[in-house]
Amino acid sequence: MAKQLNPNDVLLEVKDLKKHFVSRHGLFGQHTTRVQAVDGVSFKILRGETLGLVGESGCGKSTTGRTIIRLYDVTSGEVIFDGVDISKVSQGEMRQYRKKIQMIFQDPYASLNSRMTVGDIIGEPIDIHNIAKGEERQKIIWNLLERVGLSKEHANRYPHEFSGGQRQRIGIARALAVNPDFIICDEPISALDVSIQAQVVNMLEDLQKELGLTYLFIAHDLSMVKHISDRIGVMYLGKLVELANSDELYDNPNHPYSQALLSAIPIPDPDATKHGQRIVLEGDVPSPINPPSGCRFRTRCKYVMDVCKEVEPEFIEISPNHFSACHLNTVNK
Amino acid sequence: MSEQTINKALWENIPKENKDAEVISRPSMTYWQDAWRRLKKNKLSMLGLLFIFFMVMTAIIGPYVISHDYSTQQLQLANIPPKIDIYKVDDATYIYMHSEYKLFNVTADGLLSDKIKETENDLTNRKRVYNIDGNEVVLDYSYASKKVEENPDGVKFKLFMNGEEMKVYDSVHNKSYVLGTDGLGRDMLARVIYGARISLLIAFIATVVNFFIGVLYGGVSGYFGGRVDNLMMRIVDIINVIPLLLYVILLSVIIGSGLKSIIIALGSVYWVSMARIVRGQVLSLKEQEYVLAARTLGASSMRIMIRHLIPNAMGPIIVSMTMLIPSAIFTEAFLSFIGLGVNAPLASWGTLANDALGGLRSYPYQLFYPSLAISVTMLAFNFLGDGLRDALDPRLRK
Ligand SMILES: Nc1ncnc2c1ncn2[C@@H]1O[C@H](COP(=O)(O)OP(=O)(O)OP(=O)(O)O)[C@@H](O)[C@H]1O
Ligand SMILES: [Mg+2]
Repeated sequence: MAKQLNPNDVLLEVKDLKKHFVSRHGLFGQHTTRVQAVDGVSFKILRGETLGLVGESGCGKSTTGRTIIRLYDVTSGEVIFDGVDISKVSQGEMRQYRKKIQMIFQDPYASLNSRMTVGDIIGEPIDIHNIAKGEERQKIIWNLLERVGLSKEHANRYPHEFSGGQRQRIGIARALAVNPDFIICDEPISALDVSIQAQVVNMLEDLQKELGLTYLFIAHDLSMVKHISDRIGVMYLGKLVELANSDELYDNPNHPYSQALLSAIPIPDPDATKHGQRIVLEGDVPSPINPPSGCRFRTRCKYVMDVCKEVEPEFIEISPNHFSACHLNTVNK
Repeated sequence: MSEQTINKALWENIPKENKDAEVISRPSMTYWQDAWRRLKKNKLSMLGLLFIFFMVMTAIIGPYVISHDYSTQQLQLANIPPKIDIYKVDDATYIYMHSEYKLFNVTADGLLSDKIKETENDLTNRKRVYNIDGNEVVLDYSYASKKVEENPDGVKFKLFMNGEEMKVYDSVHNKSYVLGTDGLGRDMLARVIYGARISLLIAFIATVVNFFIGVLYGGVSGYFGGRVDNLMMRIVDIINVIPLLLYVILLSVIIGSGLKSIIIALGSVYWVSMARIVRGQVLSLKEQEYVLAARTLGASSMRIMIRHLIPNAMGPIIVSMTMLIPSAIFTEAFLSFIGLGVNAPLASWGTLANDALGGLRSYPYQLFYPSLAISVTMLAFNFLGDGLRDALDPRLRK
């Protein structure tokens, strides 16, 4: 990567972020269940950097993203954006940060209101923040459309007239309308055709270069994430299990779960033995309502030891800028 | 193999502007245009819509067009049916014999004029004598009380002109009163049209009230969810279990029976189902990604409600409104029928039906027309509602 990043210029820092969904049942709400969707996640993102976040479905990636942007209230922990902890500010104060943090959603069909024209969809942030009116608003919308590879004639059309890829571009244009610094991309390409995926990813990269954007890029498979990300975090059942530079993670996965994820990526070279045998994970992901004690991955880990059941592994730096949470790192040394 | 020359021009590159893949050729269609296009294909719905339009227009302009007033009583002309039997006196003179043994002058095509005064009324022999254009006409209504052996045909009366029995000359439509008159001699057509005004007005007001209260209440309940939702829905449940009749009776005790109390009663109860529908819609729509997107952009709750949630819930709202109108019409008719409705001389279809009950055996047409109006209108709204449901269902949208 030819990107110049300043290791001291941290745009976003997440400290021990937790998001539990509590629901009440019974006539008087006397029974509660607590879904520990995100349970203590910490990471930093530098200005201009792309952090990839991967993990199986249901491991809490979207919840992490949505909690950072305050779609959900934070259960505990801190979200420090540009030096300010935004996890506890009121929704009113949050408004000013809504111009700086934006989100691109997974489903290009559900993320655009089908009753509004494309122009109004992209114009909504402009109206909400009183950025411009009348002709100037129109011009901004046309510029945004052209920036994402559509044309200004499309402004009067309705979302259902567009293909999935085009709709995703509209969603990107909407996020760009407020001139954000940081964009959370929640699986922006997983609903798209493979041929279009690359187009959208390339466009996101170009936009990053042009506008100096910072991304949190969420996905559930590693192959596309590796291409766009500078660093990658691997999540399992509400926790971050490994965090490293993307090449490092790809070449030297440390956590058994990362190894399993990587072994599932098909390799173009038939002789390649880089990730060895394909590791097939046994069993299902345990429920986040009642996660296993100790290491959460122990129920599916082939290296499971006694200590895994009792002690939760610490998230330690095993080599420079390579963090992992596995007892194998401490026991063997 | 045949020698085929291929035009060189075919191999030329297509000019760039022609192959622009991003161009959309289909004409832009909004959700509502698309729904209208689909609704137009549904014949029954269009028929219903046409009828409703016709009904509304009749209710609005009808009373100004027809010659009779809905409240003018002409006791002389009471209970005249829409179809009348006439007898011929001479070429220029025809008479109509009413079932209450009254004679009227009438033209050959059914235009009623005045009642004929008898010259002699023989109560003991049950005979009346009239003098029409110098002819002596005798109405003998003693047959009605004769025994079966003496009166094998079961006739109730006989008319004689100059000693000769008269036969029915023709059965014609009543031109003066197309739907006949009621027990007080008021024109039925005028009353049915006027009834349409009251019935449609009540249905319209009930629907509007319901739309505003229902959408607001259901929207707030669904949007805020949790405890607020729980509390608000329990209130709805409580309102829902109290029967409508009880409300109306209580209201008529407090503010008197009439238009106002019916409207208040319908308005205060009917929004409940609308609130439930809107709440359900909002509950599911608010988790949609476009709503989340609006929230990440900093949109206020008000804006999300008005710009995103309500427009997307509009389909089910409209369908339930069209389905609600017939039930409001019916409830109003029912309440008026049992005497809790509008007061005389105002007439709704329900009061008309109620008025007709007394003379049902002799004058069934007085019940028939208001009932027909109620049924056909309800049917029309139901057809339209069905069609709208299909047309607005996003699952069928291609
Ligand atoms: N609003 C909610 N209320 C209760 N539980 C929730 C809610 N949203 C998510 N969850 C639960 O939290 C867990 C994490 O969900 P999340 O959507 O973050 O997963 P994900 O990693 O994004 O998965 P995917 O790859 O399928 O998008 C899941 O078990 C989910 O059932
Ligand atoms: Mg997700």
